[in-house]
Amino acid sequence: MSYALAAYAITAGTLGFYLWLLHRERSRLASLDR
Amino acid sequence: MSDSDGVLLARLERWRRPLGVVLALLVLAYALSVWTAPIDRVQGVIQKILYVHPPLAYGAYLGFVLTALGGALYLWRGRDAWDHLAMAGAEVGVIFCTLMMVTGPIWAKGTWGHWWSWDPRLTLTLLLWFVYASYLLLRGFTEGAERTARFAAIYGILGTLLVPLNYFVIELFQGRSMHPENLSRGSLGSGMGWPFLVGNLTLFVAFVYCVLLRWEVELRRARLALRADAWEGA
Repeated sequence: MSYALAAYAITAGTLGFYLWLLHRERSRLASLDR
Repeated sequence: MSDSDGVLLARLERWRRPLGVVLALLVLAYALSVWTAPIDRVQGVIQKILYVHPPLAYGAYLGFVLTALGGALYLWRGRDAWDHLAMAGAEVGVIFCTLMMVTGPIWAKGTWGHWWSWDPRLTLTLLLWFVYASYLLLRGFTEGAERTARFAAIYGILGTLLVPLNYFVIELFQGRSMHPENLSRGSLGSGMGWPFLVGNLTLFVAFVYCVLLRWEVELRRARLALRADAWEGA
């Protein structure tokens, strides 16, 4: 159970963090572009 | 930035937002389908990694193919937006490839008893990761030069030759590979097809969403850089 859970947690955590970083950068650039 | 890039930016935003809603709903369906998926009689719960590991591999392949496609379009048309798409594809592809190379060894540890084996598929996957990680390093160290973009386009096109080799390497080695064979119709157990399909669909939509957002970021960066150059020149 713990192996499968670790695989899903790492995938969800990494993709979630990456999307958060991209959204933050997009918002920063959009505010500079105004 | 040309008018057509401004139109592209507006289109990307328009497509990305509804896709985000679809992705959120798919993530819920994915979690539910993996949770309720049958437990494998031989491997136990660890077999559920099947619903994340191959979809991540397909995402990595798609990212690298997109890098080649963007690079080819850049060489053909000379439009910077295609170079930005190539970069977005490479970055998202490397992230998916990294996650594939993390979830695979976790599965291997639980079933083979060790994290890694210098099996042809695993070795080629590591090589594929190095090729595209190097692409990102090249792009990261040399910003905005046209010559670099052209070199990166050719590099990305050549690198993509490793993708079919990586996929078919198990067939090439005919049973001498430790990695299981590629999935084919009917190779999944009863009740496992649905969660596998939902997993593939969810990670595909996540991949497209990441690429669109990353592409948008790159287009906005280029737009601001052009504006700063024009300001300095004035």
